[in-house]
Amino acid sequence: MKRIINYIRKDEWSPYIAGILLGIVGVLAVWLSNSLLGASGAFENIAGLIGTKVAPTLFDNTYFKYVMPPGITWGVALLVGVFFGGMIGAATSGTLKWGKKDAANSDEQWKSIFGQQTWKRWVLAFVGAIILEYAAGIAGGCTSGLAISGGMLLAPSAFLFIAGMFASGIVTALIIYRRRY
Amino acid sequence: MNTYIIALFLGVFFGFSLNKAGLTKYHKIVNVFRLTDMAVLKFMMTALIVSMSGLYLLRGLGLVTFPNVPATYVVGNIVGGLIFGVGMALSGYCPGTCAAGSGEGKLDYLIPGLLGFLVGAGIYGLTYQYVFPVISKIANIGNVVIPDIWNLSPFLTVVFFALLSMFLFYLIDRAGLQRKNKM
Repeated sequence: MKRIINYIRKDEWSPYIAGILLGIVGVLAVWLSNSLLGASGAFENIAGLIGTKVAPTLFDNTYFKYVMPPGITWGVALLVGVFFGGMIGAATSGTLKWGKKDAANSDEQWKSIFGQQTWKRWVLAFVGAIILEYAAGIAGGCTSGLAISGGMLLAPSAFLFIAGMFASGIVTALIIYRRRY
Repeated sequence: MNTYIIALFLGVFFGFSLNKAGLTKYHKIVNVFRLTDMAVLKFMMTALIVSMSGLYLLRGLGLVTFPNVPATYVVGNIVGGLIFGVGMALSGYCPGTCAAGSGEGKLDYLIPGLLGFLVGAGIYGLTYQYVFPVISKIANIGNVVIPDIWNLSPFLTVVFFALLSMFLFYLIDRAGLQRKNKM
């Protein structure tokens, strides 16, 4: 028992153990709710919710009416859970960043490549996030909604997506890191 | 209501596993692309082996029917993946890990991340009708799974995937496929 508790407290688990946990969660989502894990779709639901309040005429289109209707969906509830799951995970290892000095620019490797400036990290992260969400829309899902959820059903789309993601991820990292790649 | 509680509960374990696998750290994601730390790949492929075994077993026993399978439209899936990889290497997260990292209190996840996803979602929704119908029409074979289209035994397909993954893990851990981190 003590060994298990000590393992839970570890900052980083073996990727195999953590992967088994995620795999079980993926099975349970289908078994209990007949739903697939995902994240990018939930952001569409929330964006629609905000958009139809702020600019009703602009957001009055086919997409927000029929394809991804705004609302608090199953996926939104899942995403809220993910938020708290991350919080609990960090709490068990004592690595919560709330109120800490390095919370705004949280990664040492990033700082050693790009420097200490927080604004730089935020600009790149913001642009990256927009790119990610748009790409997930085109592909039909993100790492969780398509790569994991599609992959576990053995959908060809998932493996095509993963191939594309790795190819351009490697090229982008090469360009960013250059000699330090 | 009940189903929302299940979603919330599953989400907690989902986020927990992302945290423990280290996916809520910028360097963990980017170093996969630098081929210096393949933990994220091991994590994803292990999750896939477990979940596909479980799901095809449960389907074989008649206990589950598959939900809407993500559609395959070859060009869109690949192009989407190609753009996605750029965003991932720039930011060091994906939509799910950003939510988990936000919960940890990382402000560079909470503010530019969540805001960026909402802005991206808005832009996508507003341009959807000009982009998606066109790209999803090319080489669209619908909501299919590999064992069905190639007429394979689901059991053997899952076993094959598991063996292939283990071979890859072997190459990474033992045969030095992983590069040394020069940082």
